[in-house]
Amino acid sequence: MYILQVLINGMLLGGVYAILGLGMSLILGIVKLTNLAHGEYIVIGAYTSMVLQAQLGTDPFLSLIVSVPFLFLAGYLVQRFLVNKAMSSGAEPALLVTFGVSVILKDVLLLIFGADARHISTDYSNSTVMIAGLAIPLLNICLLVLSGAAVLLLHLFMHHTRTGMAIRAVSDDPEPAELSGINVPHTFAVAAGAAAATAAVAGLCVGMKWTWYPSSGGHYLLIAFVIVVIGGLGNVAGTFAAGILFGLMQVIGGASYGLLISYIFLILMLTIRPNEFFGRYLLFQRKRH
Amino acid sequence: MISGDSGSKKSLMIAGAVFLLLLIPGVTGAAGNNVLRYGFRIFLYITIGEMWNLLSGYAGMTSLGQQSFIGLSGYALAVVTSKYGMPYPLGFISGLVISLVFALAMSFLLLRIDGMYFAITTWVVAEALGTLFMSMTYVNRGAGMTISAVPYPRIGTLYVMALVLCFGVLLLIKMLMSSGSGLKIIAMRDDPQAAEASGVNLKKTKRMVYILAAGITSLAGSLFFLNKGTIYPESGFDIGWTISMVFIVIIGGSGTFYGPVAGAVIYVLLSEILAHYPGWSNIILGAAAIVMILFCPKGIVRIRIRNKN
Repeated sequence: MYILQVLINGMLLGGVYAILGLGMSLILGIVKLTNLAHGEYIVIGAYTSMVLQAQLGTDPFLSLIVSVPFLFLAGYLVQRFLVNKAMSSGAEPALLVTFGVSVILKDVLLLIFGADARHISTDYSNSTVMIAGLAIPLLNICLLVLSGAAVLLLHLFMHHTRTGMAIRAVSDDPEPAELSGINVPHTFAVAAGAAAATAAVAGLCVGMKWTWYPSSGGHYLLIAFVIVVIGGLGNVAGTFAAGILFGLMQVIGGASYGLLISYIFLILMLTIRPNEFFGRYLLFQRKRH
Repeated sequence: MISGDSGSKKSLMIAGAVFLLLLIPGVTGAAGNNVLRYGFRIFLYITIGEMWNLLSGYAGMTSLGQQSFIGLSGYALAVVTSKYGMPYPLGFISGLVISLVFALAMSFLLLRIDGMYFAITTWVVAEALGTLFMSMTYVNRGAGMTISAVPYPRIGTLYVMALVLCFGVLLLIKMLMSSGSGLKIIAMRDDPQAAEASGVNLKKTKRMVYILAAGITSLAGSLFFLNKGTIYPESGFDIGWTISMVFIVIIGGSGTFYGPVAGAVIYVLLSEILAHYPGWSNIILGAAAIVMILFCPKGIVRIRIRNKN
């Protein structure tokens, strides 16, 4: 019974892991670039929710009303004015720009908030509900619902709005998209903004579930990578399944070995079967040449 | 641009004279310990900067995981000297051998991919090593290890070792890049398909570059940690090593011989000044690197050249 309970909790955390990977999947699938500052975006999301809860005393879930637009704007501006410009001289300069942004943000957070571990706690942080004789933390259920809602919203945005369609058109091939009147730099920036907005949700989730530091970004970035690589690029259902699988790996392998196993898995996936994962990316590269 | 035989002989003589001049304070102790400490750091940062430049600037293999070899060599030094009580030169050699073997093994995986994915995977490898050392009792887990040597080398000795390594590396890069292999490396960076069609063995060239950079970076890592005296998983496999290499090469000039030299001098002096403003150094270094990538992608070495003409 205990094992079943652990497994179910691992699976419920899958939603949190999925939301960590969602933004990375989006930016990698559309802009074809890794944002190495994505982990810092997640940490900023966590701090924003923490500050709002402390200042206004409202439920942390309500802080998303502020943190989602805030991170959307930040992600938009960074992409529009820094990364887009560097992308014109190649993928590597752009990657290094995002690396620079990550380094800067990490130390700005350290200056503002200090090196202490932080956590967002609420009255119901430790409550559990009994379902069929199993004690399930209420928080895990809330976070699963939240991440499910975020995934659904993103899906609706991508498939049922004009902006979403423009993003998908640019993602398939920027040149014809530009010829049909789509503003490509703006569209890339909107996609980057949407990815950063998911980081706001992810930040709230990790902040309520675990503790974090200003330097936690790198850790979240690598988890996001693992999720994207397991789940496949730009595949929402796959991302969710990968999150659940990763959650199970964590409860089965324990914190440090679970992480090590997933790193090794990631290295092997990236190097041995790159084509399966990057098929779409490579196809796009070939088209351009 | 192309220097004849007499030209290269002349520059070799100048380099030799500079080397001897720089050797004097280390051997005689004519300079204060602080000067020697600056020199030590500058020489080592030139070394790891030149190696990152060889990878990213010359060969087009941008790595974010060179800290793997710094951590491995630092730990090899700690294990050999404090666990087995052997002299530190043996620690250098074991660090070198471990790094070369690890680089050779990893090259079979890493060289299958390139560009952004090569960069990220190298980083994941370094993180995996850090996580592994964090949970290995053999290296005291997160508690770290000390490096012991009797007598512990003084800063003058460290300075001379770093100086010799640095000039050896500069000479090596100069010779490599003016040889046929250098042409192959540049051709591979500029157009891999054309290079391959003209008979460049891409895998072999990349493997040579990757293993060479790993070996020399590990030697610099050994010296860094011999000076520090202690090593932890977070300090050995710290992404900060790569941050400094990126900064040095981007500021100085990627794909140039003197770029990393200028970059390393600026880096060490700047981080010394910024040490008075705790917390600001990476913010300023990061911002400077972004500004250089966006507005002056060729680095300060080439600004100077352009103004001269």
